[in-house]
Amino acid sequence: MATDAVRPVIIGPRDRESFFEAQRRNRHATWRLSVVSVLATVVMGIPLALTITPLLYAAALIIADIVSIWAPLPPSFWQHANELARYGMVAIAWLGQGKATHPQALVIGAAVLLLPGAILSVGLWLGVNALFRRAGVGGALLALKAREPNQAELKELQLADVVQEMSIAAGLPAPKIMLIDAPAANAAAIGTSPNDARIVISRGMLEQLNRDELEGALAHLVASIGNGDLRIAFRVTSVFETCGLLVAIINAPFGRRSRGTLWRIVRYGLFGKKDSESSAQEAAAMAALLTRSVGLDTDDIDDVFDTASHKKSIFRSVRTFLLFPIFFTNMAIKLSLWFFSFSMLGPSMALLWRKRKYLADACAVQLTRNPDGLAEALRKLNSDRGPIPGGTWAAHLFLVNPAGSDRMNDPKANAAQQQMWVQMWAASEASKTNNSSPPALADLPSVMKQITATGSAAMAGDANAMARMMAFRQAAATALGKSVDEMPNLADIAAAQHGDKAALQHLAEFSNKMKANQPAASDSQESADNSSNFAGFFPSLKRRLKRLDRMGAHVELESDGGKSWIVIAVLAVLLGPFALAALALLLLLIAIMVMASLAFLMVWMAFIHELFVVFLHH
Amino acid sequence: MSTTTLIVIGLIAAALLIWIIAVFNSLVALRVRVQNAWADIDVQLKRRHDLIPNLVGAVQGYMAHERSTLEAVTEARTKAVTLSSGTVADRAQAESALSGALSNLFAVAEQYPQLRAVESVKLLQEQLTSTENRIAFARQFYNDEVMKFNTAQATFPRNLFAGMFGFSPATMFTAEEPERANVQIKM
Repeated sequence: MATDAVRPVIIGPRDRESFFEAQRRNRHATWRLSVVSVLATVVMGIPLALTITPLLYAAALIIADIVSIWAPLPPSFWQHANELARYGMVAIAWLGQGKATHPQALVIGAAVLLLPGAILSVGLWLGVNALFRRAGVGGALLALKAREPNQAELKELQLADVVQEMSIAAGLPAPKIMLIDAPAANAAAIGTSPNDARIVISRGMLEQLNRDELEGALAHLVASIGNGDLRIAFRVTSVFETCGLLVAIINAPFGRRSRGTLWRIVRYGLFGKKDSESSAQEAAAMAALLTRSVGLDTDDIDDVFDTASHKKSIFRSVRTFLLFPIFFTNMAIKLSLWFFSFSMLGPSMALLWRKRKYLADACAVQLTRNPDGLAEALRKLNSDRGPIPGGTWAAHLFLVNPAGSDRMNDPKANAAQQQMWVQMWAASEASKTNNSSPPALADLPSVMKQITATGSAAMAGDANAMARMMAFRQAAATALGKSVDEMPNLADIAAAQHGDKAALQHLAEFSNKMKANQPAASDSQESADNSSNFAGFFPSLKRRLKRLDRMGAHVELESDGGKSWIVIAVLAVLLGPFALAALALLLLLIAIMVMASLAFLMVWMAFIHELFVVFLHH
Repeated sequence: MSTTTLIVIGLIAAALLIWIIAVFNSLVALRVRVQNAWADIDVQLKRRHDLIPNLVGAVQGYMAHERSTLEAVTEARTKAVTLSSGTVADRAQAESALSGALSNLFAVAEQYPQLRAVESVKLLQEQLTSTENRIAFARQFYNDEVMKFNTAQATFPRNLFAGMFGFSPATMFTAEEPERANVQIKM
């Protein structure tokens, strides 16, 4: 643990904070935010329950009608049903017109309208929980193509040792370690509880970090496991998965895709074996399917109601007529799910998760007593991150955001990159002229100017400039550790511009190869779409570094002089009224949808019930 | 006394009793954690003892001229092993002597570049580095736990019961001067 780098003396912030203090603060914040999250879930549950309950009643009524064809139900049953309906009507009247009635009747009415839907939702949530808890982490590890570390290799042995050390420092049993052979530098704690927790770390990260930094990063993960973050993460995702399941169920009468998802889940729930590879994979695939189906995805419904693309037939119009009220229910559910998860549930859970990250950072400082290690690790990981193939659904479990844009531009990383450009240019010069005199290291702007000038000269047909550019290509390839074929070939581009077919062929091959090397690009796109709220699950690097700085890390923070706050305040004042108006409009729309769904379903229920009664009496 | 007063008094007494039980249990839990942390330090010291013969065996062939250095390490280890059931003070001294001998060995090994190229020696060095770290972290964890335990005992109103139940403050593990000079291993 030799720290021989000389650190510049920086006068620390005045608001220093011990890690114990930081931990306590973040624990309290977690409590507050989990209360907010639970409240948000309950608020979201009200319109959901209001729309789901009538569906359940409709189903029950139709079943009762069908049963009474063969075995007439006792009249007392219908009496009770009537009474229930009356209480429900009281509540609906109050909702619609604000008619004051007996408070007791109102409470019973609200219970009649809300309870069945709420019970169904909670039941689904418990089911989803049980399902994915049984599935465990095997599927995720398979999707990531994780492997065990090789104890005979120095770097991987070091990794295993550091994890052991951190577990000893935290007084926890050491979690298992798995390696992913991915170039992107990142690591995650994956699991459903501390018992089956795994630390997954990419080979790229192992290459990038020195021992102190590795210690900091792994201390964060070990502390996060010890804090019980895996349970929280599991619960958060299970809420979103339950929403997805609800949408799938509500879509089932309309679409083949939703039916397929549903069928897979049922089959898995009934026949899935605990420890088999294929079922673990299936579970991971389902988790991805469910989280994706939240949102305003109307493909299945449009398919049914898009009359233009189908031939008219009696069967189809009867079906359309029968399903029409459910269309409103469907839209009401989706709209309220989307709205509430966007505006309340998503942000509150995202903020909660950020607090857990800060908490784990503070705990990591406690374990290592070296805030610089973690700060430097975060900085490096952030400048070197990239999508982890197969890791999108577990993106929130990683140390730094594997995808998405973090706007913090890192002066140190930029400086390193500039240095590299200058060196590459200088190296190519030396190799071209073959003289051993060290090239003068010019500053980056002039080098960039030189490169573009030479490049355009080469494109114009200057053979000398072209040779220079090819040498630069060679130097860049060696500096980046790639083969020359992996760098863009300027000669081909120039030739292609003059209509050389062979060069065009080369370029096509090159772009294909590039595409093949980056299979994860679409992956990251997907995860960006997945998070259907405006608050990300990751705190920005700047804020994390600022907190580490308070705990004593030597971080050079960019001081933006609080200007961003002014911009945000001005924006809030300007756009606030519009946002509020939009919010109110959306809420109104949801209310209208819910009421429409209620009204249509009631009419529909009455109509079908009358049909049965008429047929039964004749 | 009316029955209501009796019931109120009974309820208060029951609450007090439950609270005292909770305090007692939490103190016991903290004490167990402290004991466990102490055992962890032991485990890591034992690990170091087990690793040293391997290291000495691996470097012997390359360091034939450094017999005295190697013997010092072996001797220090033997002494630490024989004292591992002795008093804490004796043990601390033996372990710090072992640390000193080890750091001396690594300093000498720096002069043998061919040694640093051997993969198995590198792996062994890493293991020893890690063990030194583990001892340090185990000690840090122990001290943290002792701090929590002692704070829990000393704060009001738990300090009223702690002595009564036979809890006494645990002592921190502080390194003596030679022990504090950590083994420097250049990788």
